[in-house]
Amino acid sequence: MKKSLRVILLAALVCSLFFVTAQAKEYTILVMPKLVGIPYFNASETGALQAGKDLGVNVIYAGPTQADAAAQVKMIEDYISRGVDAIAVAPNDPAALTPVLRRAKQRGILVMDWDTPADKSVVELSVHQIDDKVYGEHNWDLLVEAMGTDEGEYAIITGGLAAANLNTWIDHGLAYAKEKYPNLKLVTERIPSDEKQQEAYRKTLDLLRAYPNLKGIIGISTPAPIGAAQAVEERGLQDKVAVVGTALPNDSAPYLKSGALKVSTLWDPAKLGYLTVALAVKRLNGEEVYDGMEISNVGVIDVWDDGITVIMGPPTDFTADNVDQFDF
Amino acid sequence: MENNKKEYMLCGVLAIIVIIMSILSPDRFLSLYNLQTMAFQLPEFGIIALGMMIVILTGGINLSITSGSALAGIMAAFILSGRVMVGASIGMSIALAIGVILVTSVLLGLLNGFVVAYIGVTPILVTLGSKTLYEGISMWLTKGGAISNFPEAYYWFGNESIIGIPVPMIIFIIIALITYVLLEKTPWGTRVYMVGSNPTAAVFSGINIKRVLMQVYVYSALMAGLAGVIMLSRYNSAKVDLGSSYLLQSVAAVVLGGTNIAGGSGKVFGTVIAVAILQVISSGLNILGVNRFIIDMITGAILIAVLTLNIISNRRESRRKSDETVLVAENRG
Repeated sequence: MKKSLRVILLAALVCSLFFVTAQAKEYTILVMPKLVGIPYFNASETGALQAGKDLGVNVIYAGPTQADAAAQVKMIEDYISRGVDAIAVAPNDPAALTPVLRRAKQRGILVMDWDTPADKSVVELSVHQIDDKVYGEHNWDLLVEAMGTDEGEYAIITGGLAAANLNTWIDHGLAYAKEKYPNLKLVTERIPSDEKQQEAYRKTLDLLRAYPNLKGIIGISTPAPIGAAQAVEERGLQDKVAVVGTALPNDSAPYLKSGALKVSTLWDPAKLGYLTVALAVKRLNGEEVYDGMEISNVGVIDVWDDGITVIMGPPTDFTADNVDQFDF
Repeated sequence: MENNKKEYMLCGVLAIIVIIMSILSPDRFLSLYNLQTMAFQLPEFGIIALGMMIVILTGGINLSITSGSALAGIMAAFILSGRVMVGASIGMSIALAIGVILVTSVLLGLLNGFVVAYIGVTPILVTLGSKTLYEGISMWLTKGGAISNFPEAYYWFGNESIIGIPVPMIIFIIIALITYVLLEKTPWGTRVYMVGSNPTAAVFSGINIKRVLMQVYVYSALMAGLAGVIMLSRYNSAKVDLGSSYLLQSVAAVVLGGTNIAGGSGKVFGTVIAVAILQVISSGLNILGVNRFIIDMITGAILIAVLTLNIISNRRESRRKSDETVLVAENRG
């Protein structure tokens, strides 16, 4: 019995020593995603760590293995014990994080959110990838550009009818289209695709059959434009029906090159990670963060009048020409 | 049952892990702040583990334990957030919310207990079904979102301390003591162990198995509800998956604590120590900045190691005993 205990002790000691992070540099900044191990948040990790290297701070990128708010709360509590200078979190459930973030703030830790807003009263900075209004409108501009005309029939395929962020973008886009492109005709209500490429593909085939004069499709939610492009390509309609929308560059690449997808648009999560760390460092150094500020490797940022909300900038468009520069 | 060998070994493992963590990060792990943080984190998990343990003692399992917690929590959250019972005073609505949690829990427990005890369906199937049922109801009530923004006064249950001891810890200690007395010091507890170790013998001893099972499932659901009271306060919101990560962890803690997964034996103290071990590993490694995936791996490895040790020592024990019997028989011969 004693021997086995000794073996466990030794093994545990070796393991722990092995994984202990390098000694702290000047500042330690915790960047916490909703969960670890998915491509989107892996890409932002690359950016956050790069920023740490460039700016000479110690960046810890850690999050739960499931998108669970309780797990996030506990990890934040443990990192408060560990001692960090700043915490930037992408909350799974904003309300659940309020008590622990308030405690962090009381202990003099700089509290920020990124990717998804937390409770506004506890954060000092809120880093957003995109202005929802700009992003919604941008999709409609891309559609008109891809169709080559601002009149004709089009349809919208969305991820899900209950997804708040997707609905916000679509609502902004529809309001904008009513003003700016009155001759665009939406053939039917937004069509849900369960966040699945296969479902978007099937719904698009139905659409193409039901509306032979269809000129354009906007896909909102990352699998939607891909599924739509797949259907358009299969039916050989890429010169007649323009597909645009929000999609990841790696998924988009083949369809962009075949012409079934004209353009896709999103933000660069690596840049978002980079910006989050860069702003944390600025704040820790006591610098102001202001509208029109230039952040190296990111660009010019917008800061809203509340002094808290930071917008990374305009969306990044992926076309057949530039898509290979991105990897996420 | 006659000795506490397993519990001594667990205490040893806990001590070793605490020592390792203290050596690796003395200023952080042993800081008052971290000790307090752990004392805040442990109770909700510990209470769920106790609820899981009592069911496992009877040879069953309660897979609906965390879904029950979430459902009861959501019902209370509607009151706390002022969505129903608008206009009730804060004290009123807190009292009412806790009442609703307890009543809901008892009802959920009665449902599980009834199907297991009186209809006779295997516990794992019943509770898997009720897990899905509860999640469905929660989803329907919340539409998948979170119910949040409770009155500040409700924070007390999960976030305040009384003379340095966190309120949830006090609740946990009281619950653990009650569970200990009930299981290990009363005739009712003996019946629970008997139902688990040999139901047929229990029937012939005049034990009403059905009633005991029913009570066990209600107790388990009550534990889930009480954990819900703390979680609601700590996370300031209720959602379908509230505490869902505790489901398999609680089974792990119970088994790590020396409870026989087939029922019949196990001690409250063992479960409590096992919960503490899992807590120290999780917090300690987080403080060291270890990747979360590796923390999961280390936890799994320690679980397997301790279970293996348990089995080896059990085997040695039974071999020695059977040797002794042979000796006794030979001497007599």
